[in-house]
Amino acid sequence: MKNINRIKKQVKNKLVGALLIVACITTIACDPTIDSLAFDLPDANSQEDLTPPAAAFTASVTADYLTYTFANESTSATTYAWDFGDGNSSTSVDGLNTYPDEGTYTVTLTASDALGAVNTYTAEVVVEEPEAPPVLDPTLVNADFVKLPKSSGSDCACAAWINKSIGDQGESSSGNGSDVLKFDNNEPDAIYQEFEVVPNANYLITVVSSFKSLESGGLYPSELELRILAGTGYTDGYTPVYYTDTVDFPQGNSDSGFWGYTSIAQVEDEANNLLIRVEDNPSDTSYLSYQYSFNSGANTSVALFMRGLGGPATGGAGGDFGYNSGDEEIRTDSIVITALD
Amino acid sequence: MKFVKYIAVLFIGVLASSCSDFLDPKPNSASTSNNYYTTLAELESALIGAYDAIQGDGSYDRDENHGVQYEFYITEMRSGNSSTKIADADDFSDSGQFESFSVLATNGIVANYYDSFYQVIFRANVVLENLGNVSEDTSAIEAEAKFIRAYAYFNLVRLFGDIPLVDHVLTASETDTQFIRVDKNLVYDLIISDLETAKDGLDNTYKTRASKAAAQGLLAKAYLSIENPEYLKAQILCESIINSQEFDLVNFYDVFYSELNDEIIFAIGYQTIDDSQNFSAQWMNAVGRSSGLNYATYDLVGDLDLYGGDRTQFTYRQDPIHLTSVRYQCAKYFPDGDDGGDTGEFTGNPELAGNDWIVLRYADILLLYAEAIMAGGQETNNAAALNAFQLVRNRAGLTDVVTNLTKEELLLERRVELAFENHRLFDLVRFGEAETTLSAYSELNGFGYTTSDLLLPMPQNEVNLSNGLMSQNPGY
Repeated sequence: MKNINRIKKQVKNKLVGALLIVACITTIACDPTIDSLAFDLPDANSQEDLTPPAAAFTASVTADYLTYTFANESTSATTYAWDFGDGNSSTSVDGLNTYPDEGTYTVTLTASDALGAVNTYTAEVVVEEPEAPPVLDPTLVNADFVKLPKSSGSDCACAAWINKSIGDQGESSSGNGSDVLKFDNNEPDAIYQEFEVVPNANYLITVVSSFKSLESGGLYPSELELRILAGTGYTDGYTPVYYTDTVDFPQGNSDSGFWGYTSIAQVEDEANNLLIRVEDNPSDTSYLSYQYSFNSGANTSVALFMRGLGGPATGGAGGDFGYNSGDEEIRTDSIVITALD
Repeated sequence: MKFVKYIAVLFIGVLASSCSDFLDPKPNSASTSNNYYTTLAELESALIGAYDAIQGDGSYDRDENHGVQYEFYITEMRSGNSSTKIADADDFSDSGQFESFSVLATNGIVANYYDSFYQVIFRANVVLENLGNVSEDTSAIEAEAKFIRAYAYFNLVRLFGDIPLVDHVLTASETDTQFIRVDKNLVYDLIISDLETAKDGLDNTYKTRASKAAAQGLLAKAYLSIENPEYLKAQILCESIINSQEFDLVNFYDVFYSELNDEIIFAIGYQTIDDSQNFSAQWMNAVGRSSGLNYATYDLVGDLDLYGGDRTQFTYRQDPIHLTSVRYQCAKYFPDGDDGGDTGEFTGNPELAGNDWIVLRYADILLLYAEAIMAGGQETNNAAALNAFQLVRNRAGLTDVVTNLTKEELLLERRVELAFENHRLFDLVRFGEAETTLSAYSELNGFGYTTSDLLLPMPQNEVNLSNGLMSQNPGY
């Protein structure tokens, strides 16, 4: 019994001792003021931050030109600070900001990771109200049909308007107080010119023409046809060149060079036509204004084509193109094309 | 001694015969890669194999490629259009990550789609590589294979961004090519050149195989999706589809349930039982392995109710079996047209459905046409654009005359016309509206959308195998 008590006492003492030591250690261990046990980052021998943050973003404008969204493309970062350059800031992942006015703003993204490593990325945002590009009036060369030099041959009111692959050249004449272009009777006279347009824009064409008096009892009254031919219908590989000087214009043959339309079949392919209009002889010999409008569709370039019709397909006085003007001469004084948009 | 003589004779005999073909037999009961692909018919069977890879496997086996059958997860369910029926913990393992924009790099569905479409590309490359082994004119086969390859790359580049560009059959030593991601503009260069070849070499004979119109339509969409969109080229392509007069809008219900109708330009074909798909079943209430997938979000239902017109009734319906909350199902792809009635009992086996998957249809082209004419602007009053837009509206019974079309209206029209057809996510990105639309949707629903969610993660498995060659997309 004595022995047991002694053993009990001894065990109790030792337990109390052990408890004291544990208590001491616990207290000391949790006290950060003890230098030797302090958190030892980022001193010597600590782990290096192998994946420091890299800040990056892309700005995109929204439907409202003042509002931009910023796509955060940072890597290895956990927190972000945006400075949008107009005094606004944000700490969300992606940025969204509406600027007060037009101007150039410097946007800074600061990306940091949990170890406190920081990286910044800066980009400028130019806030500008988008302007719809104005649709300009197309440029036609020699639109008043003045006698001007051609690449070969004598001066002609038809200068800049010749495409011999699809018709004979028009002829010089006068009328309405100036030079005019003439579509001879019973000939395949035609004019052709390519010009630049804005896609999907509306244009107004004004043509001033005069028909000779209707032949009484004539079998073949003349008609004047106007077509707007799509640039998408140009021969494969053809790139339009817009000449400004009439002497530079090819004439649609191998000597001077070909245009985008090289055959009547190509001209008459319905898919290539943006506009086809045919005027009958009005039985009025004065110069009348004819107006048409067209939409340029999916074209940056189109061609204007006019010819006299009404005669027999073959047997005319000119070349053989499968069409001829009718019994009366037609004269055209001017063509004006303006943008409607 | 006599035996030595015999042995010598035998030895010489063996030597003499050892070089004959007898010991180098060509199998005549099977084809090998060296002696196959020598006729047009054999090349064509390889092409069919590429379509087979797009179709994917109609089972639930995770080791099989499921091709386009898994596309809804990574497109429609990531666009605010659809979600799981109930966001339960089981579904969140993989399929539930999409609706909440919390996709993990380890997502098996993402990896499956990635594998599937590189398999498609591989099979197309095999065809292209063997064109020279056939003496006949292979231009049509080449055009078709290039269409398939472009289709696969177009899906991948829009989902993953920069991706490995594999344009030939890789040899064992070319391990880098399969992992190194190239700039997405270069991927688009291949897509565009492939589709240019395809549109010139094909006609409109097929709807479930490549056709001229399919190539034109896909190319138009690619031109609108690139960094600097080619609006005019896209417009011309859409115009030639429209002007071909080979396609037309049909009754909206028939678009989906009368297969190969006039509106379909390109579809992935399936046959009930024999060559079937199971996505139709997965979208029903607990018919497939899940409790229900690709259910309409309230956000989509709200837009359909307001702007869908006659289309609404054929686009979604209220789930008749699910009673604890009001949930809406896709009505465009009921398994073989059987909606299961009010009880969810199908006459056939809904998991072996034959509904074709529509990739391109005429209404999509009409709306793309208006988009091309708008050319990145905010609105248009161009007659051709309005006319195309009006045709789509008229079919839906919305015949009020449209005199001006805004970008917002066009995007909304695409949503209600093409809901559940995996267009929405790509439309939002193309229109530059993904950021604002998805962050607002995410905020409203308490999801964690950030811009980096617009691209899927590169499958972690690929990144691991690449030995450091494949980088991960930001945010994953």
